[in-house]
Amino acid sequence: MKYTGWILPPALRDFHEGRIWLKNHSPFLPIDIDKAITHQYFHILEGIQKNPFNKCNRCHNIDPELFTIFECASCQQPCIYCRHCIQMGRVSSCTQLILWTGPTAIKKRKHVLKWTGQFTELQQQAADETLASVKAKRSHLISAVCGAGKTELLFPTVHDALKRALRVCIATPRTDVVLELYPRFQQVFPKTVIHALYGGAPKQDGYAQLVLATTHQLYRFDQAFDVMIVDEADAFPYTFDETLQKAVEKAKKADAPIVFVTATPSLKLQQAFQHESTSFIPKRYHNHPLPVPQFDALWNYEKSFFRGKIPKKLKHWTEQRIVQKEPFLIFFPTVALMEKAALLFQSINKQILAVHAEDPERKEKVLKLRNKEIPGLLTTTILERGITIRNVQVAVVGAESPIFTANALIQIAGRVGRNKDFPDGDIRFFHHGITTKMDEARAKIIFYNKEGFSL
Amino acid sequence: MNKIESRCLLCSQPLKTTISWKAFLTKQFSPTICEKCSARFVPAQSTTALYQYNETMREYLHQLKFLQDVALAKVFRQELYTRFKKEKAIILPIPMHPIKQQERTFSHTEELLKAAYIPYIQLLEKTTTETQSSKNRDQRIHASPLFRLKAGAQVEYKDYLLFDDIKTTGTTLKHAIEVLMTAGAKNVQYFTLIDG
Ligand SMILES: [Zn+2]
Ligand SMILES: [Zn+2]
Ligand SMILES: [Zn+2]
Repeated sequence: MKYTGWILPPALRDFHEGRIWLKNHSPFLPIDIDKAITHQYFHILEGIQKNPFNKCNRCHNIDPELFTIFECASCQQPCIYCRHCIQMGRVSSCTQLILWTGPTAIKKRKHVLKWTGQFTELQQQAADETLASVKAKRSHLISAVCGAGKTELLFPTVHDALKRALRVCIATPRTDVVLELYPRFQQVFPKTVIHALYGGAPKQDGYAQLVLATTHQLYRFDQAFDVMIVDEADAFPYTFDETLQKAVEKAKKADAPIVFVTATPSLKLQQAFQHESTSFIPKRYHNHPLPVPQFDALWNYEKSFFRGKIPKKLKHWTEQRIVQKEPFLIFFPTVALMEKAALLFQSINKQILAVHAEDPERKEKVLKLRNKEIPGLLTTTILERGITIRNVQVAVVGAESPIFTANALIQIAGRVGRNKDFPDGDIRFFHHGITTKMDEARAKIIFYNKEGFSL
Repeated sequence: MNKIESRCLLCSQPLKTTISWKAFLTKQFSPTICEKCSARFVPAQSTTALYQYNETMREYLHQLKFLQDVALAKVFRQELYTRFKKEKAIILPIPMHPIKQQERTFSHTEELLKAAYIPYIQLLEKTTTETQSSKNRDQRIHASPLFRLKAGAQVEYKDYLLFDDIKTTGTTLKHAIEVLMTAGAKNVQYFTLIDG
């Protein structure tokens, strides 16, 4: 056979390397894909594997409930598709998945780390320990309090891996976190091609040696990464469960180490790591203790809101923030209650806004608070992590509600006092009865402070 | 198609799977979506449709038709069954163009009926692969015929009921009615899942 007249487009290689993709969803011309297949540059997999049981070859789902069988007009026979990963384009029995096996992209070894910050002693130690683990291809757990400067800790490890021509992924369950990390990494690694992948992300060109992705996007990779970093490993909706575990395992190379970064490690995670592969930072980078939550009873707050009144204590708290010109966040257990409350808060100050998970203006509203264009924001748990606002004061309404787990409460408290110029602040749990979760959150924060300041 | 869902097809929340004797004896379908999701669909004002078009419905259609999640055809089976069970007219789902149907891998109007065990036949075929939504209002109204009779199709002097997923301008239905009436139908009515 002769393959004259066709040269592999480098862009095709750069895109498909490490990815497992629906053949008919490739962003490249079908003719180029077919040529690449005849060159055996792709391994072709059937979408759904039938033996010994149904398995989606993209997301590795095997839950029988998440497969549907139907009379397919395309393959003219009963066809099975996976509902688990359907948002990324349907994988069915008669669709093909392609996996790059051709020439690999050119990896750069010249990467610049442009960062002039200073590590605290604890940060330095954790950064060194992480680097040593990754160099030895050993997985590592970084457990650090909110505001300890976890992202910076990763810089030396990422830089080292990039210089060794390795491919690095930083995965996190939340799109917000990807959006927050992306500009920071672009700034710190100005010579590195970095892609940010999340649902609805724009198309990005070239071969990215550093990929920031939501864990969901990992389904689209297969043995792609030499170093895998999982940030906020405990975040909703994934406690480090099977789905995430599978996605992470599948996306990385078999022997690639995983670095877990978290403020609230689950017992399962803690037990999974040896002492030598664990770094613990109980103290914030600015060396001030974590603000400890105060409990404040707000009896029958729900009734009060539905009768059209903000409970007195909460109203007073809010007015104080406005007078003292301190930005504030108020967390609510449900969207319904928050929306009810929002109307009432707007009678205190018209500019107070509310934000929830499906709000299309979510980013803009947070930005408005950061830029001091609005005095405060009402929110559901979606803002519990990842966001940093200078001098922010925080209240939780209905801290006894089941949605506020101890970890969620710790994360929420962690929003306060992150800035070195404002290392303290008010964190208030308004409640209708104290729960063990509230006690646990408070006890853990006090424990971290004790650990941090006994060193 | 009759398996009992343990999780909501739209939001994946666990469903209460207790099947009541009443449901069992009256041959009701087990639910496929949770009460919360179900409450987001708003009943139609008119008698020729089940629901109004809203954001939830837009998402539903997107997932069924664009993401090809044919399992969602089951979501309205109880309501469709209730509407059609005493129907005397012959039910005709609006067909897709064969090429379009092959691309989507199924016909959504047929799947909606199949999921509710509603018998239907096909007498029409689509003549164009263009979609109504890609045209402006004027083009829609003055378009050449969208349907013709299938080869060998027998239209009798009987009552027919057309079924489509959504009615926006009514052009699609108008074209189908015209073909059937010209071919000798006694009367042609229509019913849609959504009033656009
Ligand atoms: Zn899948
Ligand atoms: Zn098929
Ligand atoms: Zn639901």
